[in-house]
Amino acid sequence: MALLEVSNLAAGYGKVEVITDISFSVEPGKSVGIVGPNGVGKSTLLQAIAGGVSASAGSVRLAGLDILGKKPEDIVRLGLSLVPEGRQIFSGLSVKENLALGLTGRKDKKGAGAAIEKMRELFPVLSTHENHQAGMLSGGQQQQLAIARALISEPKVLLLDEPSLGLAPTVIDDVFETLRQIIELGTAVVIVEQRANLITNFADETIIIREGRIQSRLTPADAANSDSLARTYFGAGE
Amino acid sequence: MKFPGLTRFSLQNLFGPIAVLTILTFFLDRASSSLQLMTQLALCTFMMVLALQVFVGNSGVLSFGHGSFALLGSYVSGMLTAPVNIKSHALALNQLWHFLIPLKTNIYIALIISAVLSALVAGLTGILLMRLSGLASGIATFALLGVTYNIFFNNKQLGPGSQALPAVPTITNTYILLILILIAIFFVYLFNISRSGRSLRATREDPMAAPALGISIFKVRLIAFVFSGLLAGLSGGMYVHVAGTFQVQDYYLDFTFTTLSMLIVGGSASIWGALVGTILITGVGQILLMMEQHLPIFGVTIGIPLGSRAVIIAVTFVAMLLWRSSGITNGREFSLPRFKRS
Amino acid sequence: MVQSILDAISLGGLYALAALGLGLVFGVMRLVNFAHGELITIAAYTLVLTVQFPLIVSILITVIVTSLVAFLMELTIYRRLRGVNPAIMLIASFGLSTVLQRVYELIFGALPKSAVVAPFLSGAFSIGGLSITISSVITVVLTVIILLAMGYLVERTSLGLQLRAAAADFKTARLLGVRANRLISAAFVLSGILASCVAFILVIQNPEVNPYYGLNITILALVGIVIGGISSLRGAALGGFIVGVILSALNTLLGNGRVYAYSWLFFAVLIILLVKPGGLLSKGNELERV
Repeated sequence: MALLEVSNLAAGYGKVEVITDISFSVEPGKSVGIVGPNGVGKSTLLQAIAGGVSASAGSVRLAGLDILGKKPEDIVRLGLSLVPEGRQIFSGLSVKENLALGLTGRKDKKGAGAAIEKMRELFPVLSTHENHQAGMLSGGQQQQLAIARALISEPKVLLLDEPSLGLAPTVIDDVFETLRQIIELGTAVVIVEQRANLITNFADETIIIREGRIQSRLTPADAANSDSLARTYFGAGE
Repeated sequence: MKFPGLTRFSLQNLFGPIAVLTILTFFLDRASSSLQLMTQLALCTFMMVLALQVFVGNSGVLSFGHGSFALLGSYVSGMLTAPVNIKSHALALNQLWHFLIPLKTNIYIALIISAVLSALVAGLTGILLMRLSGLASGIATFALLGVTYNIFFNNKQLGPGSQALPAVPTITNTYILLILILIAIFFVYLFNISRSGRSLRATREDPMAAPALGISIFKVRLIAFVFSGLLAGLSGGMYVHVAGTFQVQDYYLDFTFTTLSMLIVGGSASIWGALVGTILITGVGQILLMMEQHLPIFGVTIGIPLGSRAVIIAVTFVAMLLWRSSGITNGREFSLPRFKRS
Repeated sequence: MVQSILDAISLGGLYALAALGLGLVFGVMRLVNFAHGELITIAAYTLVLTVQFPLIVSILITVIVTSLVAFLMELTIYRRLRGVNPAIMLIASFGLSTVLQRVYELIFGALPKSAVVAPFLSGAFSIGGLSITISSVITVVLTVIILLAMGYLVERTSLGLQLRAAAADFKTARLLGVRANRLISAAFVLSGILASCVAFILVIQNPEVNPYYGLNITILALVGIVIGGISSLRGAALGGFIVGVILSALNTLLGNGRVYAYSWLFFAVLIILLVKPGGLLSKGNELERV
């Protein structure tokens, strides 16, 4: 059974339906990439799954449990975390305080100390800046903080909305290396990216969304073969 | 971009308000002297609610300050028509500035002057206030009310201060008030469907897009604020000539709450809403008042404890907000029911 | 002179507490709770009506009653208005405030109820030839203690962390696991406790409680949070403090013209708002759409 199962999901704002009939699933230790042009609804999709936005149709199951319609703070406790678009760290709070907030979503309060240690290992740069204001970190460091903050509740499923946004290429590599480690540890990861080339080789499956619907699904093999095809679609989005 | 609300002149929209007002006034005016007074007061109040509809209804910006303009209207019209010997001899006015004493004119000119002066003050304060939005704007209009109250309550050189202004001449013919209202409705309607009105409503729906369409939020709000200030001043003037007196306390929080309730309960987006709200709250208020005084209504006497009328009205208001914030009329103007032909 | 300074500081402290009560709720809900004044009023009524009990018991009952009213306020009314157009929320809060004022008039009557709540706090004492009122000293001490306690709560506890995060970005805070309903209820209960403190200090100086008792200070506290900066709790307290100090100073300096102190204050506020719409502690032009 897939860890995360999304079926025929539709969502939007008010009368405007942004995404329709979205279905995909992720297994533990696997990753799914979601790509598509700007504004096509990728953020809406992740927000609908994580409970930040209400969905108009479809279902979302987390380890078999129906989570559609639940509040975001409850979904986190069930094991699904979202790293939102733009990172949304609390710039006025310290790095330590940002991480502490991530702990509120932990179902198991006793493992908090161990979780913090684990984050220190994965993201050593955060230890050095522990007491600094989060707003003073560089873009890459803020991204690490955002991921750490979402991971500290030890989710089974991690959603990331454009983690590469505004980051230099070497930093992006670091971020994706960290994601690789997380996936190896068994977390299921869903990554939304505007830049298809970052994801198509990385994810076990990449979904291309156009005009609010799934247009095609690719595996890394497909992507390698139709590389030129993918470039034609997304070359303009660079 | 779609301009919300009405855009075309449609006679049937005016039919409802005009018909209802005329019929009600006709029957209530001759029913009894107390009902006549109630009707006259209600017409003044409706003028105020119309003023609020022009600004609050179209801009979506809350104003707690319009009571200031009504106060100004009462003050100006009252002071200009009160007998000169009252102004020079009455105890309440013994510190009055001397130049204010001989100023006297007839009721109608006084009304015009009070409306114009209120509009002017609305313009001057609006230049400052309309630059603010959101919470700051709400606080600022509250401050306007507070400042006006503070000044008029304490200053005995401008006017009677905290005491009532005595011996103001009255308008006894209810139909004069009705005509003023009907004229006002006509102009409010024209404003609502005009380019200014539509642009203003556009800023309410989508404040980010408005400048892109060449709409200056500041300008359209100011225009509405001035027009509504004029109407509010007129309502104050009308009131002082119905009651024959006024007091500063008449235009503070209770007045602000009551008139805003009438607009919100009826529906702030339309003239019909303003009318429905005014009639409803005035009517229900009157019935509750009689119940408080243990008077029979159509032969039945139900008594309620003193003070519960005020509670009921306030609770109704909050309940309406929770149930349907667009009011009873749900944003629509009056339209004749369509008869389907088979 | 010393008394004047003490008066200014104590009034500033009092208004800081009132503004903080408003700021707590505003931070989590972007709602201006006009009815906060009615929390102060019910606290004052409770203090005066329980005067026959020992002071500690009376204060305890007051805190419980006021917090309960605040909690219910949120549960029955404001919870249904979440996510609604801000103008509607503002007028609903104004409406609720009016409802409560009228309910108080219905229950307690329009005539004031009064009692001397803490007789040992009235009067004055001498230091170095100067006569200083006990109540002003106690007010300063009390407000300092409470503000320090609130500061500790906000800066060093998990609840405070969640409140600060929610004030900055409630949506993201929820995505991290902050429970919206519990946090908002907590904010209201805290504001109720603060309202009780404000009422206690007020009742010492003015023991005549009427249905509109908390109105004046709430309007001024509102002014305070707007000028101090609506985006932080520190700003709210600071704004309240400034309003209190200015008011006290105007009272002393204007002499006969002191009845117009409010007008001058509002005028000053208007200027501040025009220059810095987000409040004094804000960074330039913030479009805080409430």
